[in-house]
Amino acid sequence: MFELAAGAVGGQELFVLPFGDIVNYFTPYTIALFLFALAFTLICIFSKPEKQLDVAFGTDAIYAKEVTGKDLHFRRFMAIACGVATMGAVTSGDIFNFTLFVSMVGVCIIGIVASVKYKHVLNAAFNYGIISILSTIPLFGGAAITLAATGTLSIWELAAIAPAMPWIAKALIIIGVMGEGIAPFYAAKAELFRAPGAPYVIMIHVSSLLMFLRVVEIMLTV
Amino acid sequence: MMEEYTIGLIVALVAVIITFAAAVWEKNDIHRLIIADLGEVAALAIIALVATDLAEALIIPGLVVGISELMALSEIYLVREGLSRPVKQPFRIEVLDTAPAIIAVILVAYGIVLSGFTGGAVAGTGVIFYLMGKPHAERFALIETVSGFAWVFWIVAFFIFMIMPEYWFFGVMLAGGAILAKVTSKMSLVGTMRGGNNV
Repeated sequence: MFELAAGAVGGQELFVLPFGDIVNYFTPYTIALFLFALAFTLICIFSKPEKQLDVAFGTDAIYAKEVTGKDLHFRRFMAIACGVATMGAVTSGDIFNFTLFVSMVGVCIIGIVASVKYKHVLNAAFNYGIISILSTIPLFGGAAITLAATGTLSIWELAAIAPAMPWIAKALIIIGVMGEGIAPFYAAKAELFRAPGAPYVIMIHVSSLLMFLRVVEIMLTV
Repeated sequence: MMEEYTIGLIVALVAVIITFAAAVWEKNDIHRLIIADLGEVAALAIIALVATDLAEALIIPGLVVGISELMALSEIYLVREGLSRPVKQPFRIEVLDTAPAIIAVILVAYGIVLSGFTGGAVAGTGVIFYLMGKPHAERFALIETVSGFAWVFWIVAFFIFMIMPEYWFFGVMLAGGAILAKVTSKMSLVGTMRGGNNV
């Protein structure tokens, strides 16, 4: 039952994990994305955060911004949650689960920088969050229109009846993933990287990249 | 049927367009936050238009994600604006020292007899009343921990149903007790929503 078409863009499926009708799977393409997310999550778990250094002009002094204590724990937790949500999104075999995981990545990204006390970072996080909430409308809308038009949300079933997914639903889902953090809306996010605490902050970028790669695969499969 | 769906979809999309236009024009940040939440409601409406059991099952996760995003953003807004709650003198009268314990015991006992979700709600009401009558120096982290463990037991009960169906009675008891503790502890947190450091 669970077989992708021979010409599927991600390659043949390697492993299928059915939870009832929600079927997660790996293809050579998604397993690469999964391993990348896993590696970054492990880096977030085991590495220590960077110490950002600011030069004080006119003197030979520097300021070190350290991430310590509760702040460190919270950000590490949110970064790990972001990694897990990313892994969920790249292995998901269900359109709606994918959109939920994408939204979860957005929440985790806000969480990673939420405890930073710099005003410009909080400002950027707020603006990013507004776009991220608004982009759940096309995401869920696209999934709902798919369900209404084809009667299923499973990527397997959609791949079997291949061009069934309406183009408007595809467009909406791509716009939604864009809003969660790729190209035209990326400006709202770029400022977030100026927050100190490197491996956790980098997770923001990695997750968006993987979301983008995965949504391309889904849109070419269904 | 498809006709009605199309009409509904057009109405929802018009609502979405109005929301987006408002989000573009609005400059006040707190208003933008509320407008974004309104957009979330429009997204739920689009899901609800499908009007099947599956759509119903999709609304709850959609709602949860929307609320968690709204809460995260509100927290960021509060931190950025440096807003904190004003400290108010709590309202004290004599009956608040004696009555809550008695009423809470009755409600909690009745809730435990009922068990399950309903029992949790009844017992939770008792605990809310108790906490509202008390100065808030209780250990809220403990309540949260109880709630977390209760949730784990609830999930374990579901695994029992799926993996070992012959132990269904044990699973029912576990789920009933766990959801009682979970709903009670979650509802009791409502009684503590009066500001203060440890909330």
